[in-house]
Amino acid sequence: MKISHMLAASAALAIAAAAPAFAQAGPTDAQIMNDEASPGDVLTYGMGHRGQRFSALDKINAGNVKGLVPAFAASLGGEKQRGQESQPIVYDGVIYVTGSYSRLFAFDARTGAELWQYDARLPDGIMPCCDVVNRGAAIHGDKIIFGTLDAHLVALNRKTGKVIWNKTLADYAAGYSFTAAPMIVNGKVIYGNSGGEFGIVGKVEARDVETGELLWSRPTIEGHMGSLKGADNGVTGKTNASWQGDQWKNGGGATWLGGTYDPDTNLIFMGTGNPSPWNSHLRPGDNLYTSSTLAIDPDTGVIKWHYQTTPHDGWDFDGVNEFISFDASIGGKPMKLGAKADRNGFFFVLDRTNGKFVSATPFVSKVTWATGYDKKGRPIYVPENRPGAPNTDGSKGTSVFAAPSFLGGKNWMPMSYSQQTQMFYVPSNEWGMDIWNEPIAYKKGAAYLGAGFTIKPLYPDHIGVLRAIDPTTGKIAWEYKNKAPLWGGVLSTGGNLVFTGTPEGFLKAFDAKTGAELWKFNTGSGVVGTPVTWEQDGEQYVAVMSGWGGAVPLWGGEVAKSVQNINQGGALWVFKLPK
Amino acid sequence: MTGDGCSRRALLAGLAGVVLAPAARARPVDRLAAAGTLSIAVYRDFEPWSWRDATGTLKGIDVDLGTALATALGLKAQFTDFLADESVEDDLRNMVWRGPLIGGSAADVMMHVPTDRRFQLQVDRCVIGAAYARERFAIACGPGADCEVPPPQWAGKRLAAELDSIPDIWLSGSFGGVLSGQVSHHMSGAAAMAALIDGQADVAMASKAQVEHALANNAAPHVKRRVGPIPALPSPGWDVGLAVKDDSRDLADALEAIIERFAGDGTLDRIFAPYGVSRMPPLGNG
Repeated sequence: MKISHMLAASAALAIAAAAPAFAQAGPTDAQIMNDEASPGDVLTYGMGHRGQRFSALDKINAGNVKGLVPAFAASLGGEKQRGQESQPIVYDGVIYVTGSYSRLFAFDARTGAELWQYDARLPDGIMPCCDVVNRGAAIHGDKIIFGTLDAHLVALNRKTGKVIWNKTLADYAAGYSFTAAPMIVNGKVIYGNSGGEFGIVGKVEARDVETGELLWSRPTIEGHMGSLKGADNGVTGKTNASWQGDQWKNGGGATWLGGTYDPDTNLIFMGTGNPSPWNSHLRPGDNLYTSSTLAIDPDTGVIKWHYQTTPHDGWDFDGVNEFISFDASIGGKPMKLGAKADRNGFFFVLDRTNGKFVSATPFVSKVTWATGYDKKGRPIYVPENRPGAPNTDGSKGTSVFAAPSFLGGKNWMPMSYSQQTQMFYVPSNEWGMDIWNEPIAYKKGAAYLGAGFTIKPLYPDHIGVLRAIDPTTGKIAWEYKNKAPLWGGVLSTGGNLVFTGTPEGFLKAFDAKTGAELWKFNTGSGVVGTPVTWEQDGEQYVAVMSGWGGAVPLWGGEVAKSVQNINQGGALWVFKLPK
Repeated sequence: MTGDGCSRRALLAGLAGVVLAPAARARPVDRLAAAGTLSIAVYRDFEPWSWRDATGTLKGIDVDLGTALATALGLKAQFTDFLADESVEDDLRNMVWRGPLIGGSAADVMMHVPTDRRFQLQVDRCVIGAAYARERFAIACGPGADCEVPPPQWAGKRLAAELDSIPDIWLSGSFGGVLSGQVSHHMSGAAAMAALIDGQADVAMASKAQVEHALANNAAPHVKRRVGPIPALPSPGWDVGLAVKDDSRDLADALEAIIERFAGDGTLDRIFAPYGVSRMPPLGNG
């Protein structure tokens, strides 16, 4: 793409969204790359490939946000009202949202009228891990692209909703699924894999956005061969360097949350899931590259660096959380950095050019499994807090209380980095788990040595905490406590605002500097989606999906008490200031 | 099952789906009789209990037994073979009391559910019972290994087990983990036995039914079963039975009565025999 063309395209968009010629052509690679700086649209999951979820827009700001009112709401309809974890895409007067059960909707961004709806025809027997969610779509040219629960990637015509191509990513009958938002980098759709805890190997793949043809594939577990245009492209890591026997063949490391991309370094950052099997005593070694962040060349799928947040993960923390690029000075030295708030309770800052460890500080109030990280970036474990080896004598093992719980200090919900305050806003949860070996459990009709666990809130009055963190010091500037666990993403804006939703149903706005709650609106069902903002016809809009679900409702006990009166839903809510 | 003896006796007379119970309101067995089918959930890829052969035909002990149970109720069997989730509790949620999140519905009955009383108490949304067999783990060896030696003497031998099963955990984790690097992991017990028979492993450990089935009809004369006990094995075996939803106790009672009859008249043994599996009677209420 020529630079002149790219500038012309964005200029045309800035002037009028109703330029039909360009509109039909749709967003180019260059426009997608420039999403962070184009306030009139939302073209990427993350509001920019770096995933900062920051908009410089300030028409809605800390001074006037209390006047924010709904412009419209649009129901996803049907009986399929489960967790709505989607982030809207906004382009050319249309809001695209994915819904539960692998649906994609196009709504008129001015009226909320539905333009079209695509329902993936899902086969019986799909086994999504937690809920039938989808986290969002990717847009490029005439296409809007999303993944389905039966592990397909589908490209639809963004004007009509008609299928352009539909590719099978993995075998749903073997337990594979797909829930993350894909990303599009220079004509390639890049995505991870999910589902099938049993025997899965994580991978990252790229396909041609025009045809859906596979370009490269990169397994995340050492020993597995990658491919580029149908040819072998080198083994991931070094076979058996950190695994025993043949365990690497089914080692886990699913990339179920997708990734981010940094144009400065031309690197994709993908988090990887937990190793398999669950019990760490059965798989000695670091188990690379599970529970890690991988930096991958988007053109070839070659791993450029890795950093493992939980070596030899024994708590099911996994390491899929988003790695967000930002620039800051550390000790007076300007650096290209990236940050990740990990399930394991630590907030990591790395040099994103090479993966070198900079710092790790707890972002939740209690971390029991490690006391911190050494200078090389290795955790300083608390050995007695590692869940025990399976008891082959049939006795019940001792119970360990570990915090965070395996649902994580932060789960899937993306944080935000404000370029205005230079702070990260992290949706976190305060919970731990009792975990013990079951004398005998059952799996696939047979006796099994499993683990029993109970997730417990750490505090009687709240589980969720939204925290503002200074990434250069790890210090927490403010926190907002929420009774139910936080399960939705965060948006920050140049209006000194931070937005996030709560399971109780509210979309809330906070003062980005002080954490003061400035505005809230009850959307009628739990908010587990991620808000976005954009400018349209001279006004600033904020949108979020409402619809309770996700993994939290699966857990009983004390956690369930905080969410027991929340009802399901499925609606897009759009807000603006009154004229 | 765990229901009281009175209702069970009342339903002994109610075989073949004929309803003799005094209650006038519609009950699960009435609904089944009206529908004419009994939907039955069986595990996928679970040879010899339930699996698909090369032609895609669903077969196995659990399939034949399910068919016989439906016939005894005067119903037509309708099978769903499902992918095992992370635990049987998850399977019961997916297949018995809630149903799958996507497509399909809960089955009337799920086969091959352990009847362990402690386990039953954890899954109070289901009625579990009608144990029809007992399972335990067994070991077989090819010509490359002496099957009767103490297991640590298998150092250097190639061992095969289903991924993340008790055989896997026992081989990898017992005896100070001395054998852990030698275990090859397979997607099922049947696949572990196939590796042994094909000469890719010296020792395989799987369930007794999986071992017997793989060696049936003298299919692998070079493979021997371990006769001696397996030391330090955490599970002495488990009974397998049926599960129905907790609001279907009348169906549970009817099924229990049929299983009792099938055990007494040799039907169960006749169902097991073609698969080369000698049925171990359940210990009961274990």
